[in-house]
Amino acid sequence: MRRSLKFIFLYVLVFGFLASSAFAINPKSYIILGTTDKISSLDPAKAYDYLSDNILQNIMEGLVKYVPGTTRIVPGIAKKWKISKDGLVYTFYLKKGLKFSNGDPINAQAFKFSIDRVIRLKQDPSFLLSDVVKKVEVVNDTEFKIYLKYPFAPFINILAFTVSYPIDPKVYPKDKVYNGIPVASGPYMVKKWIRGQQIELVRNPYYHGKKAKTPIILVKLYRNANTLYIALLNGEIDVAYRTLLPQQFAKIQKNKKFVALVGPSPFIRELVFNVKYKPFDNKMLRKAIAYAVDRKQIVKDVFNNQVVPLYTLIPKGMWGHRSVMPKHSLKRAIKFLKKLGYSKNKPLKITLWYSPSHYGSTEAALALTIKNQLEKTGLIKCQLKSAEWATYVDYWNKGIMGMFLLGWYPDYFDPDDYMWPFLASSASNGMGSFYSNKKVDKLLLKARKIVSKRKRARIYYRVQKIMTKDVPYVPLFQGKQRVIAKPNIKGLLLDPVQIFRYYLLYKK
Amino acid sequence: MKTYILTRIGLSIPMILIILTIVFFVLRVLPGNPVLAMLGPKAPPSVVKAMEHQMGLDKPILVQYADYLKDITHGNFGQSTVTGMPVLKELMQKFPATLELTIFAMIVAVFIGIFYGTLAAYKLGNPLDVSARIYSIFVYSFPVFWFGLMLQLIFGVWLHWLPVSGESSPFMTPDPMHTGLYVVDAIINGQWDVLKDSLEHLILPSITLGIVISSIFVRMVRANVVLTLSQQFVTAARARGAKEKSVLFRHALKNALPPILTIMGLEFALLLGGAVLTEVTFSWPGIGSYLVSRIHARDFTAIQGTIVFFAIFVAITSILVDVINAWINPRVRY
Repeated sequence: MRRSLKFIFLYVLVFGFLASSAFAINPKSYIILGTTDKISSLDPAKAYDYLSDNILQNIMEGLVKYVPGTTRIVPGIAKKWKISKDGLVYTFYLKKGLKFSNGDPINAQAFKFSIDRVIRLKQDPSFLLSDVVKKVEVVNDTEFKIYLKYPFAPFINILAFTVSYPIDPKVYPKDKVYNGIPVASGPYMVKKWIRGQQIELVRNPYYHGKKAKTPIILVKLYRNANTLYIALLNGEIDVAYRTLLPQQFAKIQKNKKFVALVGPSPFIRELVFNVKYKPFDNKMLRKAIAYAVDRKQIVKDVFNNQVVPLYTLIPKGMWGHRSVMPKHSLKRAIKFLKKLGYSKNKPLKITLWYSPSHYGSTEAALALTIKNQLEKTGLIKCQLKSAEWATYVDYWNKGIMGMFLLGWYPDYFDPDDYMWPFLASSASNGMGSFYSNKKVDKLLLKARKIVSKRKRARIYYRVQKIMTKDVPYVPLFQGKQRVIAKPNIKGLLLDPVQIFRYYLLYKK
Repeated sequence: MKTYILTRIGLSIPMILIILTIVFFVLRVLPGNPVLAMLGPKAPPSVVKAMEHQMGLDKPILVQYADYLKDITHGNFGQSTVTGMPVLKELMQKFPATLELTIFAMIVAVFIGIFYGTLAAYKLGNPLDVSARIYSIFVYSFPVFWFGLMLQLIFGVWLHWLPVSGESSPFMTPDPMHTGLYVVDAIINGQWDVLKDSLEHLILPSITLGIVISSIFVRMVRANVVLTLSQQFVTAARARGAKEKSVLFRHALKNALPPILTIMGLEFALLLGGAVLTEVTFSWPGIGSYLVSRIHARDFTAIQGTIVFFAIFVAITSILVDVINAWINPRVRY
């Protein structure tokens, strides 16, 4: 017995050393990226959160794409396209011989299947296509037409977003969301996906564009900023992208073992009023609150100056942006509140809602700061309430919350994406504001149909002016992209459309 | 013995049924619409209704409850509303990581508990005994995440001795997988570098969890050994000239063990649940992390499934502990 045990032990030892000798991997061939974001779905018809979209942006490609570092759109899978004079028909000509990562062809039929499916499945991002696309018609393998319901100037930008990416009709079910390993059309493909833990991307051998600079990218998901921060300090990850606490970022910026980059971001945060919910149905009261909010203090105290104050919904750096909202004025806030009959003995009693983890670990501090600013008027008593994201979404849909904090990442890089979802009567319910103004509706629809940027910018200016009178939202601040990396990591690009491009990263 | 086992199983069924019922109704009373959480805030009402119908959420609550019980008895824990995958399959993928962490934490806890507790009992009233009592209170009051964070800072960030997150380093997973337990699979495959890496990753989380739980064991062992040391058979053993080491470990500890074993068995089952915070702190990809992420996503099928899974596991473990106890202790009546 003992002899046979010894034999087994020796066998395992020898075999083990032989097996493990083939295990080494060149450190330059992979980069480990850490994040606190989560992947909800990698089906373009469903993906609608930052990391899910960002992974798709690295493993898939649309008809058109943004030039890295700019907002300029160039052909992607499409070779070229034509827009009819009335702006209602887009004809696309595809590059020939393109293949998905499994070898299946990327053709016009795949695009028709993908767009029809997005509209049919009616998942979260489907409105981007279903609101404007009437039908898709295949001409031949490399040519197809998209018919619109009405001329829509930013349509080409929507085609650069993940919802419009082509999927393989042979793999993705027609009437169901796909939960398997995605079939790629971009620089990378998914090799292994351990949900909630990590995703391993490897080069897509069929990609038609420039080869990804690093063969393997491993995206590791961390539960919170602290675990990400410690893993970074311990050298377990090469790049930390989204999201360390502002204090952690400030501290690590001074650490010579790392490189810290700060870039622009189109991400905005705002205070939302449900304009049908008492007492927020009163314009003057909303205005008083807008005056009481001190954005500069929020930026300094809560975010360590790592975000910038925002005085309209359209972010800085995007055409159409005008800082129109009133600046902080305690005097004016008090004046309006007194006009409404509030006093120290009879203060305005309101509740501010926030979701504690969806926007990172700073959310409670942000809510508390706003509460204190409102109470500084001496005429407001503000109570704080919080709910986890799923409950929060339910509450704002049901109109349960009168005043709450929200944030917005653009689906497409156009002012329309910061105006229409917030202010159009047909869309504002989705933001929980239930705002409706016929004049605004008319102007927004008009702007959608005009191609000239100059004319559209003028319309958006008028809409923003109306917003200062109606105050359905108080824009608070605009985010910044922040990334920390080891000094040997090159190719980090923080571009204005906030696509973090893994395929440009490499180790020196 | 057979009757005893059957009785214990029979007694566990109402317990599991009560848990199933509480979980089912509490999840339905809590605010938040799982369909909206799944489809997002912009989903049109028609789609929400269709999904509610598909998930059976439009049925009367008692019908839903009956369906739910029927499914569970058939081993169907439902499909995750987030991933669309069968919950049981997802749980079985995560379970080995939690089990591995729990086993190693238990080893740490039992080792500290038995040695420190026995020595404290032997040196009753001495500084060693006082230190054991202080240790128990002090360690029991540690918040797990804080203690884990401290260990991460010291052994990871400052000393760079050990990894601070995950179950393994990149590209260091056992291949092929047999049991899902990295240490076991690495041994089976003979991948010693993977084994070393897995053990390194296990050290900090299992010490964190093990030390916190060891405080209970230290107190339990100390109290029971103090009791047995005052028994006549110990005096008799000493009178026979047995060595003190033998008196302590062979006579006193051995006889103090049955109640300690019961507690250890139950703690083992509870550790699985207690591992949640440790898993989150160390990004350990087990059931605890899974449960936390699904609570955030309001994936009520997954939450329900995880709690039921834990309940069944606790029930099975307590049956096993009772059976072992009955086996080693003839005074337990079947």
